[in-house]
Amino acid sequence: MKTLVLGLGNPLLCDDAVGLHTVRRLQPLLSGAADVEVDEDYRGGLRLMERLIGFDRAIIVDAICSGAAPGTVHRLSPDGIPTQHSASAHDANLRTALEFGRQAGAQLPADDRILLIGIEASDVLSFRESLTPEVQAAIPGAVRMILEELEAGRGKT
Amino acid sequence: MNRISIDPITRLEGHGKIDIFLNDDGDVANAYLQVPELRGFERFCIGRQAEDMPNITDRICGVCPEAHHMASTKALDALFHVDPPPTAKKLRELFYSIFYATDHTTHFYALAGPDFVMGPDAPVAERNILGVIKKVGMDIAGKVLKMRHDGHHLIKMIGGRPVHPNWGLPGGVSRGITEEQREEIERLGRDAVEFAKFSIQLFNDIVLGNPAYVDLIKNDAFVHNTYNMGTVDADNHVNFYDGMIRVVGPDGKEHAKYHAKDYREYVAEHVEPWSYLKFPYLKKIGWKGFTDGIGSGIYKATPLSRLNAADGMATPLAQAEYERMYEVLGGKPVNHTLATHWARLIELLYATEHWIELATDPEITGENFRVLPTQTPNEGVGCVEAPRGTLTHHYWTDERGILTRVNLIVGTTNNNAAINMSVKKAAQGLITKNKVVTEGLLNTIEMGFRAYDPCMACATHALPGQMPLEVTIRAPDGTVVERLSKNLS
Repeated sequence: MKTLVLGLGNPLLCDDAVGLHTVRRLQPLLSGAADVEVDEDYRGGLRLMERLIGFDRAIIVDAICSGAAPGTVHRLSPDGIPTQHSASAHDANLRTALEFGRQAGAQLPADDRILLIGIEASDVLSFRESLTPEVQAAIPGAVRMILEELEAGRGKT
Repeated sequence: MNRISIDPITRLEGHGKIDIFLNDDGDVANAYLQVPELRGFERFCIGRQAEDMPNITDRICGVCPEAHHMASTKALDALFHVDPPPTAKKLRELFYSIFYATDHTTHFYALAGPDFVMGPDAPVAERNILGVIKKVGMDIAGKVLKMRHDGHHLIKMIGGRPVHPNWGLPGGVSRGITEEQREEIERLGRDAVEFAKFSIQLFNDIVLGNPAYVDLIKNDAFVHNTYNMGTVDADNHVNFYDGMIRVVGPDGKEHAKYHAKDYREYVAEHVEPWSYLKFPYLKKIGWKGFTDGIGSGIYKATPLSRLNAADGMATPLAQAEYERMYEVLGGKPVNHTLATHWARLIELLYATEHWIELATDPEITGENFRVLPTQTPNEGVGCVEAPRGTLTHHYWTDERGILTRVNLIVGTTNNNAAINMSVKKAAQGLITKNKVVTEGLLNTIEMGFRAYDPCMACATHALPGQMPLEVTIRAPDGTVVERLSKNLS
């Protein structure tokens, strides 16, 4: 099973980059795994859907602003996700984009094989290359969650 | 009317928040759109090397990073007083044409298409790209996906990286293209021309073939007789990459034509207490409030504005379509906001035709694609037409090239005043004597909005949904009469 672990975010906007920081932590831990690709991206909507083409499973890590305590790690499905990047005001939300891709004949992971890890952000509006301490502290937990998820997925086909 | 300063958005970052104020008669007195503020951009840039700017500013925006990359690279040319060789200019313009074709395709099929192809009265659940496929046919999904795929593939090939290119340098670009790459660019460009022709035909058959849709485009609720801005070449034809900035009045006459470096002589920025985003206006006309007409300095910079500000298109198929649009809509200028979608398709056609022109230019595979800067940097302005409006980058440095000051006017900001006027007009049409037609209000406001395709924070902040909106209607004393929201997660 070919899996994509994708960090989403803007590297210059403080906690918005938490998805990117998380996958950078994962990269050395997964460098020997032939069935897992780890990458960073910046766009949602159609572009995100197009990035998932060819994979059987996807784990997407992104900042989220839901009102929970900063650093809270959420597990979400492609339905109803208020993360900053998975939707785009300039084309479509991920749900619509996935459906569009499937209708166009693209090979995409099934909905139940797309997991979104949303890390609650504190500041996504300030230009800064570092994260706030609470959000920084959430990364090890998110990394562990993703590694466990990958391990659990290995048993399935 | 009571003036009330409204608190900025604090919780749901990224969504558009609109406040509509009623007067004592229960009619609309004013309507305001608010956007979140991104903090500290200038502070973030100061003290860095100017050469880093093409790779910093292209991260401001997740929607048109290529436009920021290009404006920034041109600002570096000016800052270091260096003129790129012809091959470099042509490569940049080729890259930019491919980006335009890709961006305009996405906008038309995902955002404009649903309004027109499905019709304004279609249920909201069907007014998306899936509804378009259902109505037009499955083939369209594959065509759109191929156009986007080809565009992204070539942007990566030329620009060095997907999404955020690392290619522009003061005096040129970091690498050229091989003959083999050129052949692929040309081959995919020919497919793109066919796709653009198909898109125009689709618009013809479905939109122009239906009198109700033509009436919708011509509807007064979406008209603002403002000035129009766009970049033109030496023949006054539309150009996305370079030329002079031209501004044409509501009477169709030229108001100004200037070099981008002189923008501060022509454009000033008005500030309102309720908005972080400034309101650019034409300095020589002046700020007269949110009103249109020849005496008001408000201008628009959109695909339709570019067509209005020019005398024509530089390629034959786009020129024919340009002439047809003005014939159908009753001559120049056209200030019907919804005609922006038609103009965007004409620009799509031009972008693909120009892509072929450049891909078949004998100089495009040349090896002289950079001139090394030798002069001391001080100040530079770079300007391109971003898909959403004229984009200006202005940098100041010390003699080492370290940034001391930065100013940007992004595409959407140009249209800030016009967007607010569109919102107000839409609200006025649906709110009279305290009677609010809630059913159509959000859709009508959204349709006006979408034509501008505003990048509200001009950041990678993809909004949490499809153009989420929250509209609050307030009595003169500020109390909330009604609150409507859509697509808020």
